[in-house]
Amino acid sequence: MNMAANSGAARRTIVLILAILATGHISRAEPLHTLIDEHIEADWKGDKIRPAKLASDAEFLRRVSLDLAGIIPTAVETRAFLGDTTNDKRVRLIDRLLASPEYALHMARVFDVMLAERRVPTTSSYDITGPVWRAFLTEAFAENRPWDELSRDILGSDGTDEKTGPGVKFFLVRSTEAHAVARDVSRLFLGRDYQCAQCHDDPRYDDLKQADYFGIYAFLNRTSHFREKKSNRSMLAEKAEGDVNFTSVFTGEKGETNPRLPGGDAIPDLAMEKEKLYTVAPAKDVRTVPAYSRRSQLAEHLPRKETDGFSRNIANRLWALMMGRGLVHPLDMHHAENPPSHPELLDALTRHMEETNYDIKSLLRQVALSRTYQLSSQLPEGQPEPPPESFAVAPLRALSAEQLGWNFLQASGRLPASVIDAEQKLKQESPERYEERHNDLKWKKEIYDNLETTAVPLIKAFANMPGQAEGDFAPTVGQTLFLLNGEKYFDLAKGGYKGSLISRLIELKTADEIADELYLSVLTRRPEAEECEEVAQHLKNRTDREAALQELTWAKLLSAEFRLNY
Amino acid sequence: MLGGMIGSLGMGLGAYPLLAGEVAKSRKKLLLIFLSGGPSQLETWDPKPGTKYGGPLRAIPTSVKGTHIGELLPNTAKIMHQIAVIRSLNTGITDHFQGHYALQSGRTVPGFPVIGSAVAKLLEQDGDQLPGYVEMRRDGPKAYTDVGDSGFLGPKYESVKVVNAEPPDYLIRPDSISESKARIVDQLRADSDHRFLRGRSELPIRAYGGTFNSAVALMKQRGIFDIEKESASDRELYGSHLFGRHCLMARRLLENGVSCVKVVSHDWDAHQENFHWHQQRCSEFDRTFPALVTDFDRRGLLEDTLVVVMGEMGRTPQINNRGGRDHWGTAWSMAMTGCGVQRGIVHGKTNAEGTEVVEGEVHAGDLFNTFLRALDISPGTRYRMTGQPIPAGDPAGSTIREVLV
Repeated sequence: MNMAANSGAARRTIVLILAILATGHISRAEPLHTLIDEHIEADWKGDKIRPAKLASDAEFLRRVSLDLAGIIPTAVETRAFLGDTTNDKRVRLIDRLLASPEYALHMARVFDVMLAERRVPTTSSYDITGPVWRAFLTEAFAENRPWDELSRDILGSDGTDEKTGPGVKFFLVRSTEAHAVARDVSRLFLGRDYQCAQCHDDPRYDDLKQADYFGIYAFLNRTSHFREKKSNRSMLAEKAEGDVNFTSVFTGEKGETNPRLPGGDAIPDLAMEKEKLYTVAPAKDVRTVPAYSRRSQLAEHLPRKETDGFSRNIANRLWALMMGRGLVHPLDMHHAENPPSHPELLDALTRHMEETNYDIKSLLRQVALSRTYQLSSQLPEGQPEPPPESFAVAPLRALSAEQLGWNFLQASGRLPASVIDAEQKLKQESPERYEERHNDLKWKKEIYDNLETTAVPLIKAFANMPGQAEGDFAPTVGQTLFLLNGEKYFDLAKGGYKGSLISRLIELKTADEIADELYLSVLTRRPEAEECEEVAQHLKNRTDREAALQELTWAKLLSAEFRLNY
Repeated sequence: MLGGMIGSLGMGLGAYPLLAGEVAKSRKKLLLIFLSGGPSQLETWDPKPGTKYGGPLRAIPTSVKGTHIGELLPNTAKIMHQIAVIRSLNTGITDHFQGHYALQSGRTVPGFPVIGSAVAKLLEQDGDQLPGYVEMRRDGPKAYTDVGDSGFLGPKYESVKVVNAEPPDYLIRPDSISESKARIVDQLRADSDHRFLRGRSELPIRAYGGTFNSAVALMKQRGIFDIEKESASDRELYGSHLFGRHCLMARRLLENGVSCVKVVSHDWDAHQENFHWHQQRCSEFDRTFPALVTDFDRRGLLEDTLVVVMGEMGRTPQINNRGGRDHWGTAWSMAMTGCGVQRGIVHGKTNAEGTEVVEGEVHAGDLFNTFLRALDISPGTRYRMTGQPIPAGDPAGSTIREVLV
């Protein structure tokens, strides 16, 4: 897996160099991360904004770990990073995180939520289960599968192929309803929400046309859900007939369309004799397969740089993943009335995606390397708070439900303890594999999988409703009640098992040592003097030392600092 | 003031909540009864017996001379002089999600607060500790009953959810956590947040901290979610089915200072066996709704409470081959009563077959503005959020003067 990724990266590098040579655009050889800073800083000058200072090592470590690995580092990892005195330690950290198994696991969770939006199909038939779907995504991100390929695997899947089969979940969670799928293909792959354009040209935005929406719909309206009785599996069937007509509810104007992508030409159907229309003709309990599939044309044509919005959408979404908001924001509102905050930067990111053959890691790496990404969340003094679209200060972002759930297990010691157990086991069973364990996706995934039942209630308590895009930080009373009175949650802070944070703290002698370990484990930083003092005071006030440690730990797990990515 | 109320909860509030009275009476309130799935206007407020699409059911006379409604609502027919009906909704929406959002927010563009959140915000008073907006529904898979949210008003005005007439989850501290321990931890947490706040954007940190204060307030007053504290006769009056229990709990919450309660009645989406289906749904509704109106009137609650009954859409005049009626947004009905509302009137008219509105057409934004006006809130009231002030009502909509006092 790693070898394939390496050779893929090498191939892309060569392609990039050739592209630069061929076009003669030497300026493009300037690394993207400096371009990012130039574009962002140019606006500060115009708007007279002073940016925040650079983030401290601890702040950077926590943020980049959350963004690239989905989880805060352990106290051991944090100590090592803070103690590292080399100049390039941030770059090496970024590269280590991008190569880690956690990267693939995290990105699979992110894209699961982005693409399936926690929806459940209304048909009660067999669905691609969450674990199967996430394993499919995990593999894709571990290989750093280019976004165009992954998009093709998802849009082209009919559920029959072993390798791309799970991609069909995109259809199944939308009950294979052509309008629901068409709308979300536009939103999630092209960055455009055609909600209103289903019934009429959007009166608000000139570039959201009913005909464009129905062009996408025409790829999909012949497709339907099929449940194979023998295997009890969900698949897609497709007819060879069914044309698309539409009428504006405003003007009464009628239209008809073949499959067509926004800005492109209609794709004519292959002319075929009536008796040759089907590979598998419609019949009872049979999965109908047309000789010419319009849906396959969508998978074929959409993930291309010629498709308006395809490259830009993923560039904008990856940027938002790192920066907390899109250059176009909201992410699916790309239209004339909602221009990007930094059009040239968005162009540069878009071009980068195209020139690297849709290398997701490469874009994330460049953003992480930028000074803009590495700014502090401490507001610059002596001026009003800079607007969020200036990217002049790191935003306070909600942790996703998944990040929060896994961070609990990490901070409280449950996950690190499991890793230590698994390491000991592996050392005995296979010393060679033990040496390579940090890059061993299969091994890491098993550890996470075994803890899934502990993490899921936490994740569920913080997850959005199905179909609601994850958005800004929106804490609710219900979630807080869960934190306060959901007994399981407090149990996590209580420890009571080998390797728990409490069991580690109880071994330590001085209040300063305790404060250090507590803050490094839960908040990924060293405590300030007043915080050491607070710990000392609390230990002094309480006769029951273990209870006192539990209270301190619990309070940190409930803090806003723990709840946010800052 | 609310602090004084807490002590009284243990003793039961009896028939009238004396201590909460001052708070409750000084402001308007909203009870939204949401018939989720989309009830058929033809089997409820706008029957067309004997016409092409009328279906097999009859229309019956009501307490308002000349006004007939569907025969499945015999008790409601007796209180028609107490309510206003609108028969001329044309919202054009035939999707559950969009309908839930548009009918509750008055908008189609995403991001606006639904009426419950809006009212919670607009009627908020200093010192409020209870949530402004409580939503009640059954446990179930149909997520579109929850699409409503607080939009740009943020999490503070998100609904607190009551599921299956149970108090919200986790209102009771587990035995393993003593109150003194909880208090110590909360202090440590608050101190921690105070330090984190220094030099940072305050809003998200304060929003998070605020949920801890609200959580504690809610835990102390969890008795307001306990309908066992209501009298046996009142429980009998509202009925022991879920809708009835939710309506009684709604009364209890409104009387204790919650400004908006939404009660969801489920399963109106009758794509098949529409008539049988409505017989069932209407029997539950008709058992409780008229009783509620009469009870609210007797207790003086109707004076300051707007009561709204609507779904996210109506149902097609055409009857499909499964005996069902499908999604329909072109010509349908809703009802309302309470503060600011003319009683005993019908607004608007559909044609003989019920296929289009012929008089007094009403859109989602008009309804929303009318709700605000009934609650004494000008639709032009602006939210002062960051950036441009945004009007609470739909600027493109009008107010339906005919149904207002």
